[in-house]
Amino acid sequence: MEKKLVFPIDIKTADELRIRDRILISGRIFCGRDAVLPKIAAMINDGSIKDSGIDLEGGLIFHTAVSPAGVGPTSSNKVEIEGTMEILSHAGIRMHLGKGALRKETAEILKREHAVYAVLPPVTALLTSRVISKRTVAFAELGMEALYELEVHDYPAVVAIAGGESIYE
Amino acid sequence: MNKDEFDLVADKTAGALIRASSCFRTDKYDAYKAAIETDDGLSCWAMEQIVENAHIAEKDSSPLCDDTGIPHVILEVGKNRQISGMTLEAVQEGIRRGLRRLPGRPMAVKGDDKQRIDQSLGLFEDSEEVLPAPFTIRYSDDEERLRLHILMLGGGPEIRARTYRVFHRHSIDIVLSEITGWAVESVSQLGCSPCTLAVGIGRSHYEASNLMLQAMAEGRYDRQSEYEKFITGEVNKSNTGALGLGGKTSVLATFMKIGPQRASGVRIVCMRPCCCFEPRVYSVDL
Repeated sequence: MEKKLVFPIDIKTADELRIRDRILISGRIFCGRDAVLPKIAAMINDGSIKDSGIDLEGGLIFHTAVSPAGVGPTSSNKVEIEGTMEILSHAGIRMHLGKGALRKETAEILKREHAVYAVLPPVTALLTSRVISKRTVAFAELGMEALYELEVHDYPAVVAIAGGESIYE
Repeated sequence: MNKDEFDLVADKTAGALIRASSCFRTDKYDAYKAAIETDDGLSCWAMEQIVENAHIAEKDSSPLCDDTGIPHVILEVGKNRQISGMTLEAVQEGIRRGLRRLPGRPMAVKGDDKQRIDQSLGLFEDSEEVLPAPFTIRYSDDEERLRLHILMLGGGPEIRARTYRVFHRHSIDIVLSEITGWAVESVSQLGCSPCTLAVGIGRSHYEASNLMLQAMAEGRYDRQSEYEKFITGEVNKSNTGALGLGGKTSVLATFMKIGPQRASGVRIVCMRPCCCFEPRVYSVDL
């Protein structure tokens, strides 16, 4: 039985998630990957995120490009993605959504920051059929690698890292 | 080649690109069905999502995966058939048409040598700017054959693929063991399992890679050699499972092509862990 989550979510909801939980994700989610996530991290570091209108609190970042071909998870263990999870979680992101195993240290960081990591198969046709709307949020010059916001319903995923535990260990 | 003949080749190529990008063959559906019946838990759940995705993609003629891949072409030519520069241009035009219609992901990188490496000038907006890899042209024993195979190669498997030498010590077991070791490591890191392993064994790095591509084009899930079954079975013992979630099905099958070999202690092996949708391939007679 899947748990239905509507984003943004609160800390309590994130803390209650456990590895192997099957979830259905709905609501407003961010999309970004290698190119844009370090730029968002830099905005958090220099404080400019506050004036940007980007509200990360309770949010989800789906590690994907957004192109006419659709959406689908890229490998989350790339340096630019996994390496920015700590600061993004500290700034309010509660769920990182992608694919592939992450380091043990990352599991500890996510636990400390009340965030989890979920994975989903690269089922582009299915995911694209469940997009309600999309808009570019920041760094439009990056094209498909800009920061996007999608409104989606019932994205199927599995919690892979939560509470310091990892499905990959 | 007149305009009608040019358009016929271009449209056949475009159609093949779209079919390769959006459809599973029957033998792949059957392989998934068998895996779902024997596996359980989250691995089974992931494979059910993959199959549902394939049904939606086929119905809509839309991409199976948002990484629509780099087009690779193999042309098989029998001795009674001819291809010209215009044939090759028609195939290239077909690839452009196919990428526009699919649509492909606009991921061609702009700029000079440096800018294409560091991606500092950004990307082209149109997917048709994604150029195909250099074409492979092969002789066919079927003297009337002019067949085009089009393959779409995604980026994830490229990160995990390997082309390297193996000191065989006059034993195929050693070569198979080495391939299995590479595969266990790469499949666990891919994130898009269950994989289909494509393997080429040749005399040079080019030849091994080319044989690997041929294996992707010609391999079938319902026709597996003794060695292919051995590799698949050994890798599945790793319990990586679909999407790395644990389970019996890390690999659906292995497609291996062994070419001529050099009198030497070394075999050159190319191994590519194709993702859960690959090989995305379609073949059409021109």
